[in-house]
Amino acid sequence: MVMSLQGLSLQRNGKKVLDNISGELVGGKIIALLGPNGAGKSTLIQAMARLLECQGRIEMKGQALGEFSAEELAQNLAYLPQHSQLQFPLEVEEVLSLATLPFNVTRLQQRQQIKQVIADWGIESLANKDFRQLSGGEQQRCQIARTYLQLSNMVTEGRGQGIWLLDEPTSSLDLEHQQQLKTICTQAAKEGHCVVIVLHDLNQAFSLADEIWLLDKGKLRAQGKTSEVVTEELISDVFNVSVRRIEDNEGSIFVFS
Amino acid sequence: MIKKLLTSPFGWILGIVLSIGICLGALFMGSVDHQTLMNTDIGSKILWDIRIPRVLLAFVIGASLSLSGVLIQSNVRNPLADPSLIGVSAGAALGAALMIVAAEFVGFETQYYIPIAAFVGGILATMTVLKLGRNDLPGGMALLILAGIAINVVAASLIGLLSYIATDSALRHITFWSLGSLASANYFWLALCSIALLIVCIWLPKQHRKLDAILLGQAEANTMGVDVKRLQIQSIILVALLASLAVSACGIIGFIGLVTPHIGRMLVGASHRYLLPLSFFLGGSLLVIADGMARTIIAPAELPIGIVTALIGAPVFIWLLVREGRRLQW
Repeated sequence: MVMSLQGLSLQRNGKKVLDNISGELVGGKIIALLGPNGAGKSTLIQAMARLLECQGRIEMKGQALGEFSAEELAQNLAYLPQHSQLQFPLEVEEVLSLATLPFNVTRLQQRQQIKQVIADWGIESLANKDFRQLSGGEQQRCQIARTYLQLSNMVTEGRGQGIWLLDEPTSSLDLEHQQQLKTICTQAAKEGHCVVIVLHDLNQAFSLADEIWLLDKGKLRAQGKTSEVVTEELISDVFNVSVRRIEDNEGSIFVFS
Repeated sequence: MIKKLLTSPFGWILGIVLSIGICLGALFMGSVDHQTLMNTDIGSKILWDIRIPRVLLAFVIGASLSLSGVLIQSNVRNPLADPSLIGVSAGAALGAALMIVAAEFVGFETQYYIPIAAFVGGILATMTVLKLGRNDLPGGMALLILAGIAINVVAASLIGLLSYIATDSALRHITFWSLGSLASANYFWLALCSIALLIVCIWLPKQHRKLDAILLGQAEANTMGVDVKRLQIQSIILVALLASLAVSACGIIGFIGLVTPHIGRMLVGASHRYLLPLSFFLGGSLLVIADGMARTIIAPAELPIGIVTALIGAPVFIWLLVREGRRLQW
């Protein structure tokens, strides 16, 4: 187990944004956070990244999350936010290089790692461009590549299992790059990392995740193995839509009407 | 490292700029006709007691304001921010205006008290902004900026009130001081401002990648190993130290802190590894040149340097805004 959450609660303006959430993040697993808008998915992932304080207890590798220094936290956890807000002319390569900030990496090693990640993600044409001038999807790919590079360094530095927190990473990606992200997430899980991913597409969550945490109004409505916990009735109730689950040999898909 | 720096293009440019700055003035020191004068006590006094401390102070203050600009813009991730945003300039101006008016009523010598009052005013204003801004709250940086704006407004209205009750000579003094001048430069201020700049220059080299990370966003920087709150507080304290000393030594000098970082970014991009040293040299050189112009345009009289920097800075700033708007299709 790489992280445990015990009784997380948070109130904003009298409204419960998180209501007694508990759970465990295990290495080698992909967990999808699902739920309608305002369910608390982003808030929960931000709490896991120690970006906001809430009631309850979060432990990472047996130690309270608050006890980690900023550097130690970054050596164990990589976080991708929903949006990028860069206002200054940083090049893509410079953005990628920041992934090595918490690690003891020489400039030569850093250059080699950046070259590798640029090739892996097929972003050679973007490497020397001003990050602000990229499209939303291109920015998203570069940021995913940056957090993946941070995750890779956790293995290189012998930190072992890391946590990869992705907040709606597919929102600006086309189908090809959604597929690429799926492959990389699976690979990260195989390497022993725990991937937590906020998604809106149920079918994507079904094809990618080992576990689903379904949130509604700050509460965990369902939590467990993807195929077991998510039913037509539950989805209809939480998302207020009519839905049918179709099974075949290759798995199951949800069809909305 | 110093040898490397002095033999680099930066070193050459710095040498040329400082030499021109020392030669310029009501008395042009590069002229052969003045060689005889230079051998006299007056010539030597002009060179060692007036020109050299003045030009070196101009460089140190220009570099201080420019580095302050980079630090504050990066920390609040706002390209339009400058050191006055945290209330330091307004606080210093209020302190100075209070001292000028009090001196008129009580009747004491203000020469040394004005800079001290300005320094205390600048630091007090920054501490108030930090206290009101509560950087530990979510969205704390936005609160900090709003607190800075509020302090600027309060200080401006109090300066207005002081100007209203001031005598004619005090009013003229307040106006001249608020436009900035390096005329009172001496080795005391040069040493003080240089020590502050040296402290910042020792602190900066380990921060450049952290500052790059903050540009991406607070959440990103926090999860890339940067203690954002700590870095922001340290930066603001150092900006307050640099800017309040600069304002105390020579009044309010606008636009250097705002424009120089942008010129630097246009030349080398936003990476602080290159931007910080370039801004140091650009800010220092620009203020030496502006001071040279202020001393020569209407020689033997002097223009307030704030007018020269604003006259150069404002058009450059407008051009930058238009260029940035076109490039990013605002």
